[in-house]
Amino acid sequence: MNTKLLCRGALVLLAVLTALYLVAPVFFVIPTSFNDSSFLEFPPKAFSTRWYEAYFQDPAWINATLNSLQIGVWVTILSVVLGTAAALAMVRGRYPVKALVSGLVLAPVLVPYVIIALAVYAVFLEMGLTQSVLGFVLVHTALAVPFVVINVSAALVSFDERLEMAAMSLGANRVTTFLKVTLPCIAPSVAAGALFAFITSFDEVVTSVFLAGPDLSTLPVQMWSGVRVQIDPTVAAVSTMLLLVTLALFASAGLVRLFRARRLAEAA
Amino acid sequence: MSQNPSTTSTLAGTGVSIDIRNVVKTYKTMTAVDDVSLTIEPGEFLTLLGSSGSGKSTLLNIIAGFIDADSGSIEVGGKDLTKVPPYRRDLGMVFQHYALFPHMSVWDNVAFPLKRRGVAKAQVAERVQRALDVVELGHLGKRRPAQLSGGQQQRVALARAIVFQPQALLMDEPLGALDKRLREQLQLEIKRLHRELGTTFVFVTHDQEEALAMSDRIAVMRDGALVQVGTPVELYERPASRYTAEFLGESNIFTGRTHGVDDGSALVVRPEHVRLSAAGAELPSGHNALDGVVREVVYLGSGLRVEVALPDGRHLITRSEVRGALTPSPGLPVAAHWHPEHALVVRDDTAA
Repeated sequence: MNTKLLCRGALVLLAVLTALYLVAPVFFVIPTSFNDSSFLEFPPKAFSTRWYEAYFQDPAWINATLNSLQIGVWVTILSVVLGTAAALAMVRGRYPVKALVSGLVLAPVLVPYVIIALAVYAVFLEMGLTQSVLGFVLVHTALAVPFVVINVSAALVSFDERLEMAAMSLGANRVTTFLKVTLPCIAPSVAAGALFAFITSFDEVVTSVFLAGPDLSTLPVQMWSGVRVQIDPTVAAVSTMLLLVTLALFASAGLVRLFRARRLAEAA
Repeated sequence: MSQNPSTTSTLAGTGVSIDIRNVVKTYKTMTAVDDVSLTIEPGEFLTLLGSSGSGKSTLLNIIAGFIDADSGSIEVGGKDLTKVPPYRRDLGMVFQHYALFPHMSVWDNVAFPLKRRGVAKAQVAERVQRALDVVELGHLGKRRPAQLSGGQQQRVALARAIVFQPQALLMDEPLGALDKRLREQLQLEIKRLHRELGTTFVFVTHDQEEALAMSDRIAVMRDGALVQVGTPVELYERPASRYTAEFLGESNIFTGRTHGVDDGSALVVRPEHVRLSAAGAELPSGHNALDGVVREVVYLGSGLRVEVALPDGRHLITRSEVRGALTPSPGLPVAAHWHPEHALVVRDDTAA
């Protein structure tokens, strides 16, 4: 009995320490963002919101943010369409070299990003695609597709194909069957894939550092140079805001799930 | 189900014939459907009966259009559907595991085929309500499938399959996932539905009792081929082969030489035609008889099932009344006898 309690206590302590370790940067970043000094200072001696003002007044920051959003949205759309189609082919398809296709589609998660970045940089430089939205979208989509594929194919594997047979026997052609039956059933996984895709693009530093330049930069690249070149406390302000946005995204996903469950319960 | 006949009659279909001609389907190592030809009459309730792997489900899926046959053709109502995709065949289908759309309400499930056909909104509402009334679920339209019992879900699936007045209704072991009581109840409901709609029904099952209880005709399948097609009475009373005799109901089978020649035939005697008398007692004239010893007596409520051990080690099954002239008990020497008209000579197709 006593050893059991002891074990449980140790486990709780370990869990708390791990959680603290994971969120520790937050305790550094948030206070620093309200710091009045011109340096990244911790703990702050005086508080102000001047770094938040600095963010909103600096067109470089605003442009980088808008670029990241624009690229992120395009990447999400493209990778959801491509990733869902690829997942369908990988789960349902019956063709030779299927394993090879799966391997190629999932390769970007396995190959180190630096290698991808180097290769892409060499080619894109030649094609004039560096510092262009198209260039960013193409690379980020390649990196994001595997996350959509992994999510969607898991949903397709557990999806009952007889539902599609039923839909067709009831007069729905293949396209209608997919849109009205298959897609709604796997929608939560597609949405999760979309969220992953957006974050993959929005977060991406390695390949972006290679592609960015004075003409076009993204938020992570701007932050990176903000720390590297001039130790700019605006980075802390941006980090704090990003943290809030991410929290809001996941919270809304959770709320949607809760809302749906409640509506189902009400119908009973 | 609704007791109002006008409710069902407005959903009534026109029975059409289904012609299956020389259908063959082979997979890598096995022949799933082996040159099957069968004509299903308009408005008929036909059951494809067979054990698992007999090809009955494959054949149904070929009729539905989900599986392409290697050769042969499917005609429904005189129209060749062999190359027509399933969504243009206009055949209702009911699956063993219901296959209701989980993200739609019961109502939307049943409305689905009507919407695909562009039926006007007011008419959709009317016909969905009617179809749900027919299966007595008119009050559950707002529920999700997951909130219904298995029996209710299968009734929704039935409503969904009949609401668009398909040319025929195909059912792939629709009662297989339900418990015995519910299964028997739904058997009656499906039969009534068939009577009231007049639509051609093709029903797949491995349960011979279900087949006997429900069908106008039964097609017995084995290893992808048709063994025998006939009414339940024909199949039970005049099985053409040993396989059919053993598959439908209980049988006593005697093999060996007829008139001294092994001609590949077998003798079938149904248990209810075998009577027991005390050993040595006088038997009705002309009866065939075998002496044996009662091995086991099982009380079935409606009667007794008695197993008689024969001297050669085989055994024989009889059914008799609980309060007959003889009260069998294990160890009792008896004579099992039957009138020769109840002994059928059939082809022995179970060897090898």
